[in-house]
Amino acid sequence: MAAPSAAGLGRRLRAWLPRIMPVRWSRYDASFLEPEVNKELYQKPLEKLTEEEREQMELKAVRPIKAAPPTLSSSVFSDPMISKFTNMMMKSGNKVLARSLMSQTLEAIKRKQLEKYHKAPENEKETIECNPYVIFHQALKNCQPIIGVCNITKGGKTYQVPVPLTDNRKRFLAMKWLITECRENKHRRTMMPEKLSQELLLAFNNEGPVVKKKHVLHKMAEANRAYAHFRWW
Amino acid sequence: VFHSCFSLQAKHTEHHEGRLYHIPLEEVKAVFPHGLPYRFQQQIRTFNEARVMVRKPALELLAYLKGSNFAHPAVRYVIYGERGTGKTMTLCHVVHYCSRQGWLVLHIPDAHLWVKNCKELLQSSYNKDRLDQPLQASVWLKNFKTSNEHLLQEIKTQKKYMWGKRDATEVGRPLGEVVEQGLARVRSASDAVGVVLREIKQQSHRGSFRLLVAVDGVNALWGRTTLRREDKSPVSPEELTLVHNLRKMVMNDWSGGAIVTTLSQTGSLFKPSSAYTPQELLGKEGFDALDPFVPIPVSNYSPREFESCYGYYLERKWLQHEKAHTEDGKAELQFLSGSNPRQLDRLAGPL
Repeated sequence: MAAPSAAGLGRRLRAWLPRIMPVRWSRYDASFLEPEVNKELYQKPLEKLTEEEREQMELKAVRPIKAAPPTLSSSVFSDPMISKFTNMMMKSGNKVLARSLMSQTLEAIKRKQLEKYHKAPENEKETIECNPYVIFHQALKNCQPIIGVCNITKGGKTYQVPVPLTDNRKRFLAMKWLITECRENKHRRTMMPEKLSQELLLAFNNEGPVVKKKHVLHKMAEANRAYAHFRWW
Repeated sequence: VFHSCFSLQAKHTEHHEGRLYHIPLEEVKAVFPHGLPYRFQQQIRTFNEARVMVRKPALELLAYLKGSNFAHPAVRYVIYGERGTGKTMTLCHVVHYCSRQGWLVLHIPDAHLWVKNCKELLQSSYNKDRLDQPLQASVWLKNFKTSNEHLLQEIKTQKKYMWGKRDATEVGRPLGEVVEQGLARVRSASDAVGVVLREIKQQSHRGSFRLLVAVDGVNALWGRTTLRREDKSPVSPEELTLVHNLRKMVMNDWSGGAIVTTLSQTGSLFKPSSAYTPQELLGKEGFDALDPFVPIPVSNYSPREFESCYGYYLERKWLQHEKAHTEDGKAELQFLSGSNPRQLDRLAGPL
């Protein structure tokens, strides 16, 4: 008992100095501002700007600006969810390949839906959704679990305790399940766009293995309701 | 702007430039068993219709063909341009026009396929130095038969041809029999192709039919090949029967038709990707062989053609993204693609 307390005392007696090399904090100074991507803001003439916007413009003239990350785009077609999904599909930094796979997937979804649309009779044409972005977002929403399960050890035994999930965690789980399902449980020789487009269309209709996995997780959480009080946060 | 409801190309004049005319699907299957680019075939399947844009180079070519004198030797036209500007589509437009007029169309979809990736190379029985390619020849014969059924029955052979020791084709038999022979005996398919080309060339000056020789990627005939013999020695293009016979076809020593060719860098071997002019792609040998030719440059979309293409995509519901319908989206598409037809097609795919 003497050694730990002596070391702790020694550490506490030395003055607290901040570390010289920050490990996980931002490398930018506090004075740096975020880059502005919105084109309309710069195209507005000076008179139409409100007070805050005018102050912001004057501040930008004096302060340095952070470098724009490669994911930030001023294109009208950019979608943050699609970028996130592409990043999760990426392997060893090959963003070019991941992005081309994503665009081929969206094109495949569009082709399948358009073929169905053109062959369908008039009254059913409105029900068929052809927009690949709408299908993607809806499929992700259908795959997101509402409640998750966490391992909590109490008295030597580990219990699966139902736990609420944050939005980020839900989105992450949905995307991860989709990608793992496509990578592992399909025939070796099918191409990723084909597999992904099939999975997304099934998830859009609330069918398919990913939605089933979500239901299994919900059932597990429901079954372990009794241990919900083990959670302390 | 973009609807062109008629399908008779004889009426295509300058004021139809930028509009799309549609080809009925049965005609597509009959006239183009091979030769259409893969992305265009996918587009036909998705939209359930085939729409080709009428552009200036194609109109120019059609005007030349309409006004050409068929008693003179065949004129050679070389379509060239940067990558993705529409050379193959121009060729397909001309091929469709000629087949509608009743010409005999000799359409080689991609000459580069004959000089690379050949699994079987047989020594030719006709000439010991040359090499046969049975697979490529039989595939081409099958497609040639589909596109030119009616004319093959009318053209008769003028010489007796021996296939091996026992089979022979007599004088006066229709060319269709030679094609059948080539399809049945795959070993002699390349020789059958040679016979077909020879007969057609000799009989074209009589005037009973007009001949169009349409070759895509003609720079393959005078480049290098990636094929090797069993002893790993490289094969040059003249040692392949198919290439040898095709070179004779592309010479302008026959009359009664026209030769329309396209240069292509995408399938070519050992050529830098920035090369697109005839001088660079054909090399000295090819340029001298093709020498008096009419060059037809194909460039990116003009603003009017871009509008027409964009409008067509909107009408067929190909551009589904909400922002793609706005002015900003259109300006962005024009900027990103640089009005290049292929880039526009690739960009509009996921949108």
